[in-house]
Amino acid sequence: MIEARQVSVSIGSTRIVSDVDFTVRPGELAAIVGPNGSGKTTFLRALTGELAFSGKISLNGRDTAKLKPWEAASIRAVLPQSTALSFPFTVREIVKLGVTGGRSGALAGEGDRLPERALARVDLEGFAGRFYQELSGGEQQRVQLARVLCQVWAPVLDGQPRYLFLDEPVSSLDIKHQLIIMDIARDFARRGGGVVAILHDLNLTAMYADQICVMYRGKLAAAGAPQAVLTDSLIEKVFGCRLRVGAVPQANIPFVLPQSAVA
Amino acid sequence: MVDETIAGDAGVQEQGRHAVGDRSGRALLVIGVLAVALAATALFSLTWGASDASALGLVRSWLFGATPGDEALSMRDSVIVYDIRLPRIVLGMLVGAALAVSGAVMQGLFRNPLADPGLVGVSAGAGLGAVSVIVLGATVLAPFTALLGTYALPFAAFGGGLLTTIILYNVATRQGRTSIATMLLAGIALGAMAMALTGVLVYIADDRQLRDLTFWQLGSLAGATWLKIAGAGPIIILALATTPFMAKGLNALALGEATASHLGVPVQRLKYVAIVAVSAAIGASVAVSGGIGFVGIVVPHLLRLAIGPDNRYLLPASALLGACLLLLADAVSRTIVAPAELPIGIVTAAVGGPFFLWILLRKRGVVDL
Repeated sequence: MIEARQVSVSIGSTRIVSDVDFTVRPGELAAIVGPNGSGKTTFLRALTGELAFSGKISLNGRDTAKLKPWEAASIRAVLPQSTALSFPFTVREIVKLGVTGGRSGALAGEGDRLPERALARVDLEGFAGRFYQELSGGEQQRVQLARVLCQVWAPVLDGQPRYLFLDEPVSSLDIKHQLIIMDIARDFARRGGGVVAILHDLNLTAMYADQICVMYRGKLAAAGAPQAVLTDSLIEKVFGCRLRVGAVPQANIPFVLPQSAVA
Repeated sequence: MVDETIAGDAGVQEQGRHAVGDRSGRALLVIGVLAVALAATALFSLTWGASDASALGLVRSWLFGATPGDEALSMRDSVIVYDIRLPRIVLGMLVGAALAVSGAVMQGLFRNPLADPGLVGVSAGAGLGAVSVIVLGATVLAPFTALLGTYALPFAAFGGGLLTTIILYNVATRQGRTSIATMLLAGIALGAMAMALTGVLVYIADDRQLRDLTFWQLGSLAGATWLKIAGAGPIIILALATTPFMAKGLNALALGEATASHLGVPVQRLKYVAIVAVSAAIGASVAVSGGIGFVGIVVPHLLRLAIGPDNRYLLPASALLGACLLLLADAVSRTIVAPAELPIGIVTAAVGGPFFLWILLRKRGVVDL
């Protein structure tokens, strides 16, 4: 379980996140949504130990402030928004960093094939020999996800659930790959792990999240199941625009929702 | 949609023993070739020189005992080979390895292929430390030199290099992000400051010191003695011995400090160890051979083209190629204008400068200022 109690983060003299309470149970996919600058990424950085914070955060009951880097790496993996490289690594070499970094939890003998399997999962089969720097932004993001998956390949290891922290995992992806990546995240949760993802697409969020946390001006504006959270009044308050949930556009304007995907 | 049946048996493409995109096999092969090349270069250097001293004869007599045919083997040959060429070769290999590996480690640390101790002022800082001891060793710094003896020069150079690296890192890095523009500019500023102070010391130096300084500043292996090796060798070897333990951490660091930490790397500790090791290796090298430029940037860059940036292979390969190239450069420097000799720093700069420009032209994206 991920538990955050009264978490606040200040950078310099500016308070970015104030008194956020947050709980993610194993098996859950929690989405953090909110307007730009509402503190989503800052809060995620506190959760992953990148930023100093006040309050208390624990992973599986262990205080994250006291976890050594290699201990934390065996419990959770983190996908940053984007990663630029200055050295010519191949895709396989990048993904392999995930295997050597944490404890994949893959069966003995599977470890060597893990990069290829992870790449196939993110629909990058055959990309192992390509240079990372030569890929498009969306492809790079999926390579990083493959690396992150390798780090915590088994969602449950030694009876302990493990976690994925994803900062805008689908922000630069086309619709097909948005669905593939969100399926991977949901699958990770269904198999006993936990997922925290920052998302911007409210439709994807409603479709995949078990729990939505809405951040607004550094505070938690609402949290709960999609049906309870995504209301006209909350969206107007938080995003500052009047949108109606569930309204269908006029007949002559096409609209495509992820929910319409045929499995 | 992805489901387990697709994901489970998905493409494992094997090409021979190694998967596609896995360059470790090639890297090991290159390391093997470099080791052989270094041995051959060292042997060649032993026989190559302004004098016609026969090293092969010496090796033969050393291996099989003196044979009747070896009367030609004179006392003079023995001195030239054992006391002049051999220490010079050993020192050249140590310094070449130290410069190349320091370059590779620093590039990993700053996440940029242009971070070179010579370019960003670390060598200048180390030089300042060394010049201080040469000029002030008998007066102001007398207690320091008395305490450390042979090690005074390398330690002063180490101190100067360490101080420069720490200042550089703190100026160029904000919240785990190193700005390459700030790093290069700060390096220029620090280098200029160190050169200014060095200039003051040169100004007050006497004639004898001045001559020492001039040759030393241009970079040369000419003064190689077993005594110098005893002073700098252990420091360089110790510093190089720590680098294999950094390799995995430096690989993860290529993804950024935060991501490296998420991958389980103790980033702060890695940075401290890397900074101290680089400063020690550069300090000791500068102390014995002066400012030999461009080895630290050319060698890792060439190797990245050949075997990729994986530091587990890049670091040992850099040590071998650095040692090899410096021996070759030294062979040129001591024979091209024989019986005089050209400081080796001039040779490496003459080759390294154009090479550096070629890197800039070839990959304009490298310097994102």
